[in-house]
Amino acid sequence: MPDQIHPAERLLNLVIALVNTSARMTKEQIRRSVAGYADAASDDAFERMFERDKDTLRELGIPILTVTGSGHGDDIGYRIDQEAYALPPIDLTAAELGVLSLAAQFWQDSAARVDTSRAITKLRAVGAAPEATDLVAGLAARVSAGGDAFAPLLDAVQARQAVTFRYRAASNGEVLSRVVEPWKLLARRGGWFVVGRDRDREAPRSFRLSRIEGRVRTVGPRDAFGEPDAAALADVLASWSAGESRVATLAVRPERAEALRARSVDATEQLDLTDAWLARVAADRDVVHVPFTSAWELAEEVVGYGDAVVVLAPQAVRETVLRLLRVAATLDAAGDTHG
Amino acid sequence: MAERASDRLLRMLGMITYLDRHAGVPVAQIAEHFAVTPAQVLSDVDTLWMTGTPGYLPHDLIDFDAASYEQGVVRLTESRGMTRPLRLGTREAVVLVAALRAMAAALGPSLDPERARVLGSALEKLTAATGEAAAAVDVRLAVDGSPVVVAAIGTALQTGHRLRLRYVNAADVTSERDVDPIRLITDDERSYLLGWCYRAGAERLFRLDRVLGAEVLDDLIDPAHTAGARSVEFHPDPTGGLVTLHLTSRGRWVAESVPVEDVRNLADGTFEVDLRVVDQAWLRHLLLQAAGEVLGLRPTSVARDVASVARSALAAYGPFAEQDCS
Repeated sequence: MPDQIHPAERLLNLVIALVNTSARMTKEQIRRSVAGYADAASDDAFERMFERDKDTLRELGIPILTVTGSGHGDDIGYRIDQEAYALPPIDLTAAELGVLSLAAQFWQDSAARVDTSRAITKLRAVGAAPEATDLVAGLAARVSAGGDAFAPLLDAVQARQAVTFRYRAASNGEVLSRVVEPWKLLARRGGWFVVGRDRDREAPRSFRLSRIEGRVRTVGPRDAFGEPDAAALADVLASWSAGESRVATLAVRPERAEALRARSVDATEQLDLTDAWLARVAADRDVVHVPFTSAWELAEEVVGYGDAVVVLAPQAVRETVLRLLRVAATLDAAGDTHG
Repeated sequence: MAERASDRLLRMLGMITYLDRHAGVPVAQIAEHFAVTPAQVLSDVDTLWMTGTPGYLPHDLIDFDAASYEQGVVRLTESRGMTRPLRLGTREAVVLVAALRAMAAALGPSLDPERARVLGSALEKLTAATGEAAAAVDVRLAVDGSPVVVAAIGTALQTGHRLRLRYVNAADVTSERDVDPIRLITDDERSYLLGWCYRAGAERLFRLDRVLGAEVLDDLIDPAHTAGARSVEFHPDPTGGLVTLHLTSRGRWVAESVPVEDVRNLADGTFEVDLRVVDQAWLRHLLLQAAGEVLGLRPTSVARDVASVARSALAAYGPFAEQDCS
């Protein structure tokens, strides 16, 4: 095939043509005169190519405007308005631009990565020349991937559009369809959550993205709901904030679990270790008081120490640990274990 | 992997804008600025040189100074009016501002004033330019480790000094090791120090919440140990033993949070993952947490090991293990 023009080159030619056109270009003019479109083998191929290119440009933030001619209704032309896509004046120093390299590594989701890298490319265009000094050397920050649900939910939050998805309840594993007005996406301790108003339950709820099954679909029009009720949002957020710190009492084997010991604090209230059961379990062990905010997180940590660490109190943490241990104790009896 | 046409287009448009503002820039500098190879810059410039307004006669085209170009310096002489920078799309602004905000909140307090100021001013300018309050996304990074430890690591990274760490590993064994620090990694779940460990003779990731003490030594770091290190990602260690887990669909987080070699989705919605595991203690901890989602496990020795650890832990609870049933 002679002289196939690279799609990026065709797109660039299209942008330059539509920016420079005095009023507008019709589709036919574009096909005839913009380098790259002559490659289209048929009318259909050209239509598909042009539609795809328009989508690509819109996605990049370079919207093509449709201009209707004064004559007939089907006399449609196109142009690009530079004012509409221009970045407001921003003046980034080399050091500030360097900070953006931190942001480039931040997201693990491919969709968010694409968005970040596009944003950075756009900002580099107006940034000062790089300097040798790297202010952020030695630092890296990142957030875990939100999965397939992340991008559509983010779009829906922005558009204030309700969404529906199938969600697996943590309590009983039941999968139900939910309709939610999404307010905000939160990343906390390795998990992504969307908080919003559950329409069926008529109340604020939060949903873990990893428990969403299948696709997230939008329902109804954009701008379908207003600002989230500040008090309701604050309530939901409070449940994800560090929360009130409590202190667990652990019985630790001598010279074990130094990482837990390093976080230990003085006891605020003493357990009654004369209690027969507690005394029996804590015998020959050090009693250590460790602050925690999430019973579930502490339980997952403690379970890793096996019999070196026993939770004396609170009961909720102890029960969570015991539940995990009971299941794990049956692992060697699991059905299809073979090999 | 071939670059997406849209990404290349964006960069080429960015280059016109950039070159319009900077008269005559060496190819190597453009490459560094846009984070691509010099060869890619040459290819982009060659393409730009052929684009322009319909007609595509010499005066219609984007043009560069040919004499400079032969000297390896790119000087834009005709931009065809393409010098306006592109605004950030809504989602682009959201993800960028949310990232910077999370980093400013988590890292800011442990940064020296100069670096904290730069991070703050970058965030401020972007928020102003994009009008994005980033209310849509809120990421909280985990700041682990005692302030004393974090401060010592920060000093060592900045001044290029070796560290002596007191570290307790996943097997709950405490040791002292000298480490050339490479990078402090903060994510939403934990903080880590990536460093070259003299004891292991290799790069290691240290969880900050397991660093019991950190002392900045007088020795300088060995540049050979930190130069090539770029891998922040976890990768399966090819030297580890192969472990295969058969998990329920709810165990998806296992495949998402640990380095897996292979994931096979099965017809009934369950799936299998292959892990390469060097650290048995780590594997044991993972399985104790995930046991509820495990349908099967190979080799069986691993299943026996984990189950017996769980049974002896249950025994340690004595009467409580029999009582607290729910």
